[in-house]
Amino acid sequence: MAGPDLFIVLCSGEHEKLQMAAMMASVAAVSERPVHFFVSMNAVFAFDGTAPPEARYKGGAFSELIREKGAPDAIDLLRQGKMLGDLEVHVCSMALDVAGWDEDRLVEDLFDGALGLTKFLSDAEGGQLIVL
Amino acid sequence: MGKRTKIDARGAFCPGPLMELIAGLKLIEVGDEIEVWSSDTGSAKDIPEWVAKVGHEMAGIEHCEGYDSIVVRKVK
Repeated sequence: MAGPDLFIVLCSGEHEKLQMAAMMASVAAVSERPVHFFVSMNAVFAFDGTAPPEARYKGGAFSELIREKGAPDAIDLLRQGKMLGDLEVHVCSMALDVAGWDEDRLVEDLFDGALGLTKFLSDAEGGQLIVL
Repeated sequence: MGKRTKIDARGAFCPGPLMELIAGLKLIEVGDEIEVWSSDTGSAKDIPEWVAKVGHEMAGIEHCEGYDSIVVRKVK
């Protein structure tokens, strides 16, 4: 039986947290558990479609290992989760406003639009909420 | 007996082998099998867990030199 919908709020721009969030989201989504992924604050910069991955991802020692060993790219994992499972990815409308970005600035083929926090939290009632 | 498709996911890290398996299952018929070769040490536990959760069947698992051979049968 599927568990409650999983709601993931990613605020951190740290590569390691992005990687973990993408792993959780993609695995849950392909395990017949709907996932709602909300990107805000510094995390938005990791989804800058105008920058290459090596410039987008900011991290520490484990980030270096992820790159050296060729672990799956976090954004590719999220795309796989969308393609193979039930995963929605939204960007925080406030974060876009503050950054002065529009949605076209974000990486392609991933986002399902901008969303306000109030709507996201309302949708998350009854689900499981994880904040990274 | 159904057809068996082999996926060599050796060298891929978690959750790469699982994702490759799931993508492969979308392409085969019910009754057919996928044999995944994975050097990711978590796959031998993670893939059977996923298979049980979503309702496919494990058709076998073999620990080989440097990798695991995991066979999954599509049942739905």
